[in-house]
Amino acid sequence: MDSRAWLLITLLFYAVGALHALLFAVLRRSVLTTVSLTATLLGFACHTSALALRWNEGGHFPALGLHDGATLLSWAIILVFLLVYVTTRVDAAGLFAYPFSFAVVFVANLTPVTDRVDPVLRSLYLPLHVFLAVFGYGALFAAFSMGVLYLFQEQELRSRSPRRFYYLIPSLERSDTIGWRSVLGGFGFLTLAIVTGFLWNHSLHGRYWTGDPKEWAALAAWVIYVVILVARWRGRWGGRRAAWLAIVGFAVVVFTFAWATLVPGVAVAAR
Amino acid sequence: VILVVGVNHETAPLAVREALAFPKERLADALEQLRQQTGLGEAMILSTCNRVEVYGRAAEPCADAVAAFIARYHQRAPAELESHLYRLEGEAAVRHAFRVAASLDSMVLGEPQILGQVKDAYEAAERAGSLGSVLNALRNRSISAAKRARSETAIGRNAVSVSHVAVELARKIFGELRERAVLLVGAGKMSELAARQMVRDGARATVLGGRTFEKAEQLAAALGGRAAPFEALRHELAKADIVISGTGAPGIVVQREDVEAAQAARRGRPLFLIDIAVPRDVAAEAARVAGVFLYDLDDIKTVAQANMRERRKEAAAAEAILDHEIREFLDWRRSLEVVPLLVELRKRADEIRKAEIDKARKRLGTLTPEQENALEAATSAIVNKLLHGPTVHLKQMAGNGQPEHVGLIRKLFGL
Repeated sequence: MDSRAWLLITLLFYAVGALHALLFAVLRRSVLTTVSLTATLLGFACHTSALALRWNEGGHFPALGLHDGATLLSWAIILVFLLVYVTTRVDAAGLFAYPFSFAVVFVANLTPVTDRVDPVLRSLYLPLHVFLAVFGYGALFAAFSMGVLYLFQEQELRSRSPRRFYYLIPSLERSDTIGWRSVLGGFGFLTLAIVTGFLWNHSLHGRYWTGDPKEWAALAAWVIYVVILVARWRGRWGGRRAAWLAIVGFAVVVFTFAWATLVPGVAVAAR
Repeated sequence: VILVVGVNHETAPLAVREALAFPKERLADALEQLRQQTGLGEAMILSTCNRVEVYGRAAEPCADAVAAFIARYHQRAPAELESHLYRLEGEAAVRHAFRVAASLDSMVLGEPQILGQVKDAYEAAERAGSLGSVLNALRNRSISAAKRARSETAIGRNAVSVSHVAVELARKIFGELRERAVLLVGAGKMSELAARQMVRDGARATVLGGRTFEKAEQLAAALGGRAAPFEALRHELAKADIVISGTGAPGIVVQREDVEAAQAARRGRPLFLIDIAVPRDVAAEAARVAGVFLYDLDDIKTVAQANMRERRKEAAAAEAILDHEIREFLDWRRSLEVVPLLVELRKRADEIRKAEIDKARKRLGTLTPEQENALEAATSAIVNKLLHGPTVHLKQMAGNGQPEHVGLIRKLFGL
């Protein structure tokens, strides 16, 4: 089987999680919790082999175009979700990770593979930079999910007549803590990704900063997270504000990522 | 036969339940009289504030005698109790016993106390010597079934009392309560109840006292915390995570401005205000301050009702578990019954007799009709005479409620 076949099987497994999230939103009941966790775990295994095969088939680290970008991003998001689940036993973040990954893998399945022969693609910087970046995105997505859950639970508690979600989503403190740790992890990876990006630039062009729009966007996202971190460290913005910032920060990250992968010619390395 | 006769919160008003209650210290004596006067072989009395029930095992149905005893013991006219009493026998009684232990028959569905009360009642009966093998088996099976229902369903999970709901809400906001600061404004009973549970979870308590500072100091000591004068309200508010307010003051005690000042100093950490005073202590507008969760008594009751609905949904699952356990118990009881045993015993003996006649015939060759009859009569007589004693005694023993012998006999005869 080739990488595309594996990716199709991955999609089928992720569909279970997406269904779980849908049922949760509609019925307000946790119906498929165990089933969706198992399916996602199997899906992740298929996803990983799809990625490995694609690496082998392409002859370079698969980070070209929408197909590769979507595959990598959803892979990292599921990986981080599973890590959060294993360490905290909180599965509510899956309500976002499941449908999002399903949609992104769906897109990956529809788009053709982009391939090019270019010595730049053989650079070790490529896998290093890309892995760091997608781990960062995965963690920031988790922070985003916990932020939304926080706001949901806060809404339930403030309404004083909690409905079903109250029972099913974690406590404010838990969402806040997990969200905060995810921001920390995500920020760390994002920083390393930016540093490796600069180093790579330097090895290619002899300059750290090339003025590429993606560099600006990445820097903007990074600054937003610095603001979140500093505010939190100074004890100002806990809880609700932190939840909102995690959501906004992630929106900026999505923007950078979309720009880098969708707009032709922006993918720095390949130019 | 197992029987249950009694009243509960649904069939009898409090006045009747009170009048029929059996005080703990007279339980042994009551059980003794009960057995002497009604022909119950075994008996147990469960007397709580929501129910008074006699559980018994008798050779013959004698629910009326038990009902009459309850009336006589409490010096009531039997007719007066008639409309309140229920009499359950056999399977219905067993089902009732299981449902009571599992808190499915409780006024507050799923409340945890009843299981302990049931255990105590059986223990008291055991000490009084009125517990035999049948009720003992009922005790073991119903208690383990109740535990199963509790652990496998959410029947007892969501809080339905004011103090429990307050604690649960606090957990939904703060996660664990360890090292959280609880501030009590006023030293009321209900505040104390909620605070006690939070302290058990590791929270630290501070009690604000007004004119009767002594009371605040006593409560603080009981909670292992400290007391502070009421004037320190703003200062203490800024340090608190959870505030339980229950003063008897006629007006507002905690103003919106107090909460705002506290929140400014707290840097956006959540503050949970529980106002269980009537009239209310905390200004309603305080709920609009960022990071503040304000619940008054009505809000908490709303949550309790929602939780009750959740419990009712879970009750169906608990009933299913009990159904299974009850069926197993009844099957087991049936296997101990004497009549089927006697039938089986006779059948087995007859099979042996017929097989031996066949063998004998092969050796003897053709027999005349007279010889056939004689052989038949002789072997039948042996079987009948041999089984006569055991049959009579088994029936007697079953009447005395000694079903364990049935198992022994099954074993001896390989049935």
